[in-house]
Amino acid sequence: MEKKNKSTEQSRLRAFLTGDRFKALLPLIGFVIIILVMHIMTNGKILTPKKLRLLFSQIYYPTIVATGVFFIMTLGSIDFTEGSTLGVASIVVSALSFYSIPLAILGGILTGAAIGALNGFFHVKFRLPSFIVTICTMYLFRGVCAYFTTETAVPASNAIKALDQDWLKITITLAVLAVAFFLFKFTRIGNDVKAVGSGETAARFSGVRTGRVKFLAFVGAGALTGLAAFVNVIKVGSITSTAGNQLETQILISLVLGGLPITGGAKVRFTNIIVGTLMYAVLNSGLSILGYEPQVQQLIKGVVFLIFVALTIDRKALKVIK
Amino acid sequence: MDKKTLLVAEHIDKRFGITHAVNDVSLTIAAGEIRGLIGENGSGKSTFCQMLCGIYTIGGGTFKLDGKELHIRNQVDANNAGIAIIVQEMGTLSGLTVAENIYLGHEEPFMHMGVKDSRAMNREAQKLLDSYGFGRIKAGVMIDHYNFEDRKLIEIVKATYMKPKILVIDETTTALSQNGRLELYKIMDAVREDGRTVIFISHDLSEVLAHTDTVSVLRDGEYIDTVESSQVTEDDLKRLMVGREIGSAYYRTDYGTPVSDEVMLSVQQVTVPGELDGISFELHKGEILGFGGLSECGMHEVGKAVFGASWDREGTVKLADGTEINDIPTAISHSIAYASKDRDNESIILNESIRNNIVLPSIDDLANHGLLSGRKLTRFADEQAKNMQTKMQNVGQFVSDLSGGNKQKVVLARWLGKGSDILVLDSPTRGIDVKVKQAIYALMAELRTRGKGIIMISEEIPELLGMADRILIMKDGKINGEFIRDPALSEEDLIAKMV
Repeated sequence: MEKKNKSTEQSRLRAFLTGDRFKALLPLIGFVIIILVMHIMTNGKILTPKKLRLLFSQIYYPTIVATGVFFIMTLGSIDFTEGSTLGVASIVVSALSFYSIPLAILGGILTGAAIGALNGFFHVKFRLPSFIVTICTMYLFRGVCAYFTTETAVPASNAIKALDQDWLKITITLAVLAVAFFLFKFTRIGNDVKAVGSGETAARFSGVRTGRVKFLAFVGAGALTGLAAFVNVIKVGSITSTAGNQLETQILISLVLGGLPITGGAKVRFTNIIVGTLMYAVLNSGLSILGYEPQVQQLIKGVVFLIFVALTIDRKALKVIK
Repeated sequence: MDKKTLLVAEHIDKRFGITHAVNDVSLTIAAGEIRGLIGENGSGKSTFCQMLCGIYTIGGGTFKLDGKELHIRNQVDANNAGIAIIVQEMGTLSGLTVAENIYLGHEEPFMHMGVKDSRAMNREAQKLLDSYGFGRIKAGVMIDHYNFEDRKLIEIVKATYMKPKILVIDETTTALSQNGRLELYKIMDAVREDGRTVIFISHDLSEVLAHTDTVSVLRDGEYIDTVESSQVTEDDLKRLMVGREIGSAYYRTDYGTPVSDEVMLSVQQVTVPGELDGISFELHKGEILGFGGLSECGMHEVGKAVFGASWDREGTVKLADGTEINDIPTAISHSIAYASKDRDNESIILNESIRNNIVLPSIDDLANHGLLSGRKLTRFADEQAKNMQTKMQNVGQFVSDLSGGNKQKVVLARWLGKGSDILVLDSPTRGIDVKVKQAIYALMAELRTRGKGIIMISEEIPELLGMADRILIMKDGKINGEFIRDPALSEEDLIAKMV
C-alpha cells in the first residue's frame, strides 16, 4: 500500500513537471534565473539605477513591435519583416519630420501598415506560408532601406530629436500594450486569433473569417512597427542602412523566451510579451556589461533560445508554421 | 475450453493524468479464437490494445504470450513478438509505393549491399496482394493513387502477411464499405483457421456477434465479463456495456406524423465540380431529412454546400425569407448549424478548451456592444455542456482529452447554444457508443417536435430508416431516389437506389 502511494506521488510529480501549469511558469522561472545569474556575474552592476534606466531605454520600441507580432504568432504564423519595416518606416518618419511631427507619425504607421498589407495579401490570397512571404519581403525592404542610405545616413529634424524623453516613450509603449490587451482579452479579435492558431479549419467552420483575421493581423503588426519607427527615430536621430537589423530575430526570441508557444493557439498569454522583452533586455545588457564581444553575445543568445524552445514547445500541437 | 491459451493479461493498468483509462484488467484469450472487445467510448478497450501493441507504454501489470512475459516498449517489439494492429485512422504513408508501405521496416530481404531491389520487392508484394484477392491493387504504384478504402486493405495486408500470432483490428470497419468489410471478415476467418488469434474492436454490435467466437466487455476501464457470442443477443451486450437496461426506444417510434408544409430551406440546382451534379431539394419545418448513399456519392458535400462551405459551388441555397447562403458566417448568423463527418478537423478545435469551442459560433451574441466578459462566456459554455451531459472535469478541459462521444456532445452543445433552427448533421453517430447514440437520437426527435429542420447525412442505413421523415438516396452526385418514412421500408429498398 505504502509503495503504491509513493509511486502515485512520483507520477504526480512527473505529471506536474511535464504538465501545462509548469510550462506556463517556466518563463517566469527563467526570468528570475536570468536576473540572478546576471546579478551575480556582474557583481550587482546590472541592478544599479543607471543601468536599469539604460535597460529600459532599450525596450520601448521592441515591446511595441513585439505586441504586433504577438498577434501574428498567436495565429501560428510568423513574420520576418519587422527589421526591414522599421528601417523603411524610420526613413519615412525622418524625411517627414522636417514638415510636421504628426505627419511623420502618420507616415510611419501607414508605411508599416502597407508593408503588413502586402505580407497579408500574399499569405492569404495566394495561400503562401507566412515565413516564405515575409522572408521574401524582408529581402525586398532591406534593399529599399539600403538604397536610401547608401550615400549618407538619412537625418531627422531637430524638432523630432527634441522629443527624446522617457515619459513620452513610456506613455506610447504603455498605451500600445493597454489597447492590445483590451482587443485580445475583451473583443472578438482575440478569440478569433486564438481559434485560428489552434485549428484553422475548425475555426473556419465555426464562422471565423479566417482570411480576414490573418490579413488584419499582418496590417496591425505592420502599423505597430511603423509606430515603433517613430520611437526609434526620436532616439537615434538619423537612419543608417543597419536600422532595425536583426530586429525580427530579437522579437522572435523575446516572445518565445516569454513563453509564447511557437505554434500559437490556445496557450498563448498576453504576459508573454512583457516577460519576454524584459528577459531579452536583461540578457542583452548583462552580456554587454560582462564585456563579451557582440559575436559571442549572439552565440550565447542562440544557445539560450534553443534551450527554451526545446523546453517549452507543445509537441502535441506541433505542425508546420503557417 | 479445450483450446490452448495464447495470451494472458494480468492486472493491466493505465492512467492518463487523473483519468484511470484501464483499471486492473485481467483476461485470457485462446489460440484460434476471434475475440470481440466492446465497450462504450472511454471504456479503455483501445487503450488496452494499444498497450499490447506497443503504442502506449504499459502502466502496470503484465502480458504473457505462450506463457512468456512480454517486454514491449514500442511497435517494433510488438511486431517481433507476433502482435500486429490495424488502426482506426490512416495507417499508411503517402509518398511511398504500395510495396514500400507493405514492407516498411522489413526491407532487409530486398537489400543488396545497401541498395534496395525495388523490382524484387514489387514482385513479392504483388504476389501477396494477389494471394489476398486484391490483385487490382498494383504494388509498384504510389499509394496516393488509391482511395481510403483500398489503403485500408493494403494496411490489412501489411499487418497480416507475417502471420502474427495476434491480430488486433481496432474500429477498422467504420472506414470500410460493405465489400471491404467482407474482405476483412474473410481474413479474420483465415487467421482463425490457421490457429492464430484475432482481437476485434467494433461499435457495431451485430457485426461483433456475427463474426466473433467470444466477446469481452469493458466499462469505465474495468473488465466486466466475457461471453460466448452464440449465447447472447445485442441487447445483452448493450446491458453489459452500459451497466443498466437500455430501453427499446432506440430510434423514434412514431410513424405517419405529418410534417409541416412550411419550407425552411430550398436548394436549387447546386453543382460542385466532381461532387454534386445539379441537386435540388427542400427542407421543411420539423422535418428530419435523411441523405444516404455509398461513401463517394456526394452526400457529404451536400452538408458543406448548405453550410456555405463548398469552395466552388454553383446554384442557390435559399432560406424561407429569401436570404442566400454563400459563406459560412452568413449560414451561422442565419441559424444554420453544421456537424461535420470529419469531427476532429472541421467540427471542433482539438487544441482548445471545451469553453472556447462552445462559445465560438455564439461570440457575437454573447458580446455586449462588442465587449466580451470571460465570466459570461464560461457560464454559457458550462450551461450548454451540462445540458448535453458532457463528461468532463470542467469547461476549461481541452477537447483533445475527450472521447468521440463527448466530442460530439460538445459539437451539439455549441449549436444548441447558438439556437440554430436548421441542423446539418453529417454522420452524427460515427464512432460513437450506444449510450451517446441513444441520447443523440432522442435529442434529434425532440428538436424535430420543436420545429427545427434537420438534415441527417448517414452511411448507416438503419439510422436513416429509424430517424428520417424522408430519405433522399444519392448516386454519382445526383439524387437517385426518394422515400417517405414508412415501417414497411427495408434496407434493400434503399440499397437498390444506391448501387
